[in-house]
Amino acid sequence: MKPLKDAQLGAFTFFASALPHDVCGSNGLPLTPNSIKILGRFQLLKTITHPRLCQYVDISRGKHERLIVVAEHYERSLSDFQKQGKIVLQIAHEVLEGLEFMNKNGMVHRALSPHNVLMDCKGNIKLAKFGLYHMTDHGADVDFPIGYPSYLAPEVIAQGSFHPSDPSHDEAPLPSGPKTDVWSLGVLLFELCAGRRLLQNIDITERLKFILTLGCMDDIVTVLAEEHGCLDSIKALPENVLELLRKCLTFLPSKRPTPAELLRDPVFSEVSRIYTPYQKPVSLFSSSLRCAHLELPEDISDLCKDDDEDYLSQRAIDEVYHLWCLAGGDLEKELTNKEIIQSKPPICTLPNFVLEDGESFGQGRDRSFLLDDTTVTLSLCQLRNRLKDVAGEAYYPLLEDEQSSLPQSNSSNELSSTVTLPLIIRERDTEYQLIRIILFDRLLKAYPYKKNLVWKEARVDIPPLVRGLAWAALLGIEGDIQAKYESIDKDTPIPTDRQIEVDIPRCHQYDELLSSPQGHIKFRRVLKAWVVSHPDLVYWQGLDSLCAPFLYLNFNNEALAYACMSAFIPKYLYNFFLKDNSHVIQEYLTVFSQMIAFHDPELSNHLNEIGFIPDLYAIPWFLTMFTHVFPLHKIFHLWDTLLLGNSSFPFCIGVAILQQLRDRLLANGFNECILLFSDLPEIDIERCVRESINLFCWTPKSATYRQHAQPPKVAGDNGFGKTATYYSSDYQDIPKTDLSREPLALCDLKAEMSPRISAEDLIDLCELSLAGPTKRTKTGKPKIVAVDIRTGEDFNRGHISGSINIPFNTTFSPEGELVQCPASGVLQNYRGRVIVVISHAMKSAVMVRKQSHTQTPVYTGIFLQATSRFRNDVLLPYVGKRKKRKSSFP
Amino acid sequence: MKKNKGKAGSTAEKEFVFEFRAGKHHCVLKVPLQFPAQENINDLHGRLMLLHKIPCYIENELKSSLSNFIENETILDYDREAELALQRLTTGDVDVNKLTNAWTRSYVETTLEHARPEEPSWDEDFADVYHELIHSPASDTLLNLEHNYFVSISELISERDMEIKKLQERQAAEMDKVMHELGNTLSDQDVNAVASQHFDAQQVLENKWASELKQVTGIQKQEYQEWVIKLHQDLQKSNNSSQINEEIKVQPSQLSELTDSGARMFEEQSQLEESFTIHLGAQLKTMHNLRLVRADVLDFCKHRRHGSSGAKLRRLQTALSLYSSSLCGLVLLVDNRVNSYSGIKRDFATVAKECTDFHFPCLEEQLEEVQQVVLYARAQRSSKEKDQPGSSSSCSLNGGDDKSKNVERNPCNILPGEFYISRHSNLSEVHVVFHLCVDDNVRSGNITARDPAIMGLRNILKVCCTHDITTITVPLLLVHDMSEEMTIPWCLKRAELVFKCVKGFMMEMASWDGGISRTVQFLVPKSISEEMFYQLSNMLPQIFRVSSTLTLTSKH
Repeated sequence: MKPLKDAQLGAFTFFASALPHDVCGSNGLPLTPNSIKILGRFQLLKTITHPRLCQYVDISRGKHERLIVVAEHYERSLSDFQKQGKIVLQIAHEVLEGLEFMNKNGMVHRALSPHNVLMDCKGNIKLAKFGLYHMTDHGADVDFPIGYPSYLAPEVIAQGSFHPSDPSHDEAPLPSGPKTDVWSLGVLLFELCAGRRLLQNIDITERLKFILTLGCMDDIVTVLAEEHGCLDSIKALPENVLELLRKCLTFLPSKRPTPAELLRDPVFSEVSRIYTPYQKPVSLFSSSLRCAHLELPEDISDLCKDDDEDYLSQRAIDEVYHLWCLAGGDLEKELTNKEIIQSKPPICTLPNFVLEDGESFGQGRDRSFLLDDTTVTLSLCQLRNRLKDVAGEAYYPLLEDEQSSLPQSNSSNELSSTVTLPLIIRERDTEYQLIRIILFDRLLKAYPYKKNLVWKEARVDIPPLVRGLAWAALLGIEGDIQAKYESIDKDTPIPTDRQIEVDIPRCHQYDELLSSPQGHIKFRRVLKAWVVSHPDLVYWQGLDSLCAPFLYLNFNNEALAYACMSAFIPKYLYNFFLKDNSHVIQEYLTVFSQMIAFHDPELSNHLNEIGFIPDLYAIPWFLTMFTHVFPLHKIFHLWDTLLLGNSSFPFCIGVAILQQLRDRLLANGFNECILLFSDLPEIDIERCVRESINLFCWTPKSATYRQHAQPPKVAGDNGFGKTATYYSSDYQDIPKTDLSREPLALCDLKAEMSPRISAEDLIDLCELSLAGPTKRTKTGKPKIVAVDIRTGEDFNRGHISGSINIPFNTTFSPEGELVQCPASGVLQNYRGRVIVVISHAMKSAVMVRKQSHTQTPVYTGIFLQATSRFRNDVLLPYVGKRKKRKSSFP
Repeated sequence: MKKNKGKAGSTAEKEFVFEFRAGKHHCVLKVPLQFPAQENINDLHGRLMLLHKIPCYIENELKSSLSNFIENETILDYDREAELALQRLTTGDVDVNKLTNAWTRSYVETTLEHARPEEPSWDEDFADVYHELIHSPASDTLLNLEHNYFVSISELISERDMEIKKLQERQAAEMDKVMHELGNTLSDQDVNAVASQHFDAQQVLENKWASELKQVTGIQKQEYQEWVIKLHQDLQKSNNSSQINEEIKVQPSQLSELTDSGARMFEEQSQLEESFTIHLGAQLKTMHNLRLVRADVLDFCKHRRHGSSGAKLRRLQTALSLYSSSLCGLVLLVDNRVNSYSGIKRDFATVAKECTDFHFPCLEEQLEEVQQVVLYARAQRSSKEKDQPGSSSSCSLNGGDDKSKNVERNPCNILPGEFYISRHSNLSEVHVVFHLCVDDNVRSGNITARDPAIMGLRNILKVCCTHDITTITVPLLLVHDMSEEMTIPWCLKRAELVFKCVKGFMMEMASWDGGISRTVQFLVPKSISEEMFYQLSNMLPQIFRVSSTLTLTSKH
């Protein structure tokens, strides 16, 4: 969005019309409230950016179908008929520029009037309220007519007004075309020339009749001038102005030019030279060069010329508004203070009598529901006050200087202390958000060049305002996504349509955006585009939930939502959407249950005992990456971290959720657990994120090895490719050596309760690596005890230093019973450590694990598979845990 | 209806023709397009490219000519429609006067700029003044004043009761005497004459008291309102409020003397109550409070005298929220007549009269108004049904004919599922009373979720949403008194039905009002056993998801 500059933020409010009581839609679901429809349609307006149009910023829903719209605003308007030194032709030209741009985007103003034509401090025209007709579906969703009586074009009047209480009109009038605005402009220009309002003194009925009778007149301009006694001043106008007035005030629409035609008309030949056509800035994801038109002036200091120290006004309007809200801005309060919102006490407006079908009677018309479309300027004082200590440098952080810590300002101490606060508090901290938004904004502008820095900063947090783009950057979206998206056929019916149609009205519908008809349309298109463009995969229920966060964040950019989703699925849900995905899911769930066993053996034992296996509850978790179980605001925080992790991070989230429900799960049997998960209780998401990060650091990488995971990408990363960090890279991406883990048949995998690890990880864990500094810091690693269960001879031949030898054949009797031996007691001393069982015979290692498991729940843990270097098939059951409990290993 | 507008009717198909050269070949692309164009041009373009395998060097040309075509055709459509409308005017198909009047009406009725200026309303001004005062230090005085008025009314009432009782005793004695003489000196006719005389005397006495009460309440109301306005003016005049404060603080001393409340204190103890906090919703959860209460429905209305524990606080709470956006409502189950002559209606009216309503018209006046509105509603309905035959059968769910007959018999009566609303400032814990009409059906065991009474509950909750009633008390069993046929299984079945329906409605409410936290009190009759009560309170958490208790644990 464009910078605020000298603009102000303005807000106006109106009511959507109430729905008729108790009417269902054609699909049997309740009707969408009109306010939500408007809210959905409004979103498009945020993307309409043009120097002649007031930028729309936000819309919010209040009680009882109230809507408050926030947009760029200026105090000065044409309503005082001061031309501000501009000639009429210039004003007309600028208005037409705005109208033409709107028409290009399929919109019509309909409410053109002098007080909706604003002027900035340089006298440039800015059209306000141009989106009202669009967002209300041509006025169908509101009770009031759109437009002002004196400025209505004759055909608009002729098509009639729709009034809800008027039984004679069943149909809303047809939508108006672009030419109606030209008439309104004509009236407006006439008023400017005459210096007085038209048809001011007669009542509305007469006014409208008068406009309709103009059809019989030959020269409408003259008639109007005579009627208002200003014939002389009109006659004195230059010929081209008169010509323009005549063209605008053409009675028959077919003879009247459209804004675009009028703009090319010879009457503007003098003034049109001043104006250069507006160039839309190149978007972040496009094939053309973003810096193509960037030219540095000869003298760099020219750039700093109009430096007026007001750095805030250089920020984009939506940023300023976002910060205004954070600094305690309250739209309803502002409007109430200006007496635009006047509400009666509800007890005074109760109906007297209500019929069985919900129709109420005896309720007086409440005056406070009438339209007052005055725009109120939102004062930025509070925000500026809040930010007065933020140094100018903070608005322009240096990115190239790697040494200096970001951010750098005199309040950096304060900020660095803010970083340690909980995320929810950080997201509400005005200064902190300002710094973060600026930083991210700059980094994203430099994307993909600054991809690494985006990753680095995202690890701290992602400011909500830029989350959509930041996620796209984390997912590595590049290229002309718009063209790609457009080339996908989203219209031709496909067999999946029916299922999509059923799922969308059930997906995150508490959210206003996603429940709006526009949201549904976009949902459908993005989902269809994905299904069509992935012929090897199919639509599984849950894909809709997966799409929801991307669509919500990129509501106005379907292509980006689609691109993000297409990048996300192979990264985290590789092959989950195969037609037959059972092997993938089964392996995933088995690894998940091994992860539970590794991190929480006690819980794992309990769940296994009662037969509460992950298949019963975890499929929707992983298939939708938790979007099915959490509301959007929680998903955002969860995914902020998830996107930084690799494809095995979801396991840790799953374990972290179980940890929060641990007490209840341990206390309950199968039925209660099923009930508990059927409607998942509130989960503290910040704690969940924190714990899953801890769990992730604790988990040896190879423990989550899956043979059906995404195969390593062919190394063909471009120059800006991120340096793979330990946490973000997948196990599969690490070059395979003979020390790596081997694929395991599903049935074998299922039989093992604890995960295996690779010999590499063992080397790493024992810090035996010769390859210089270890990848991880020492503190993040679990402490291990290596238990070698080979025979004493093998052990003596060679072993890992520090490992304990508990030979399998002496500890276990042939029947599989445990035999008392002194070595087993040694393990007692290592309680709380992760135990790695090393063996060359897989079966015996499994036995050890099984025995230790059945005898003492404490020592369940992970199997590690080590290979060749320590002689083939050395097996490392990796037993462990932090849970302390009085029980002894026999 | 509004949405199925004429747009769909006027679709037309037009053919887009595009010619281009591919090498030596001259190709023509013809695409039929629907107008008005709903499709995204970019998508359409992409689809055409894909479908017809159009070479990419044509891409931009095709796009621009496609968008030009659609733009021009759309403009032509607009022009045609617009001129058709203008033509209809000139040919006289549409009446100019009617048309312009419709426009005028919509401007006058919906926009502030053109609306008729508002006539100042005494009620609302008073509401503002009162709301301001009750949130100021003067609130104490207001409450005390109200209480004094209340005391004088209750003295009057007890005097009345005493006098009526005396009269009845005297008449009973007289009647005894007469009966004794029956057959001897007096005939049946004489007895009848005495009886009617007695009846007349009672009527006269009651009327006398009624008019006296009415007069006193009228005077009280006027005095009170004048006083409130004056106090407000005084407060506004002088910011130096210390003096006013002195003035305000005159009365409270007299109140402490009045501490008789034994009987009601006793009643309160027999109340059973259990509270729950619940979460509703699949992903986004909203929190609500539920309460299961065993009490008499009128306990929420009856005033306790000062001194009984918390009575004053409760009174203050009710007064503070009277003009706020967190009102308290109560569902009262009534029969199909809008009056206060019998049963629970009379009991309620008695309670409502115990104290002057200083803000709203008295119950009788409100009921009269409701009767008018009911008649109006019936007239509206029947005229509408005449207009659109056929729609009547679809809007009534079960036995529409049956019902309309009933209405024809007496249009003043209301039907099951319908309710009227009365507003009160003089009840102890309630501002709004929903008088929900139920029939004998609710006493039977087999009502369903489509029963009119349940639908009425839904509409009540809807009104709660639109009018900021955040606490609502609902009779759980849909009866106020227990009777023989209401066995334990009956109670459990009924409670389950109402719990489940209310749960559904509350989830629906979240979409009406964005999930504002509410309190719903489920009321069970006093005569229900303690055991039964606990059975019901066990049932509640099985139907609603009770939020988990927060366990505080120390960090590791």
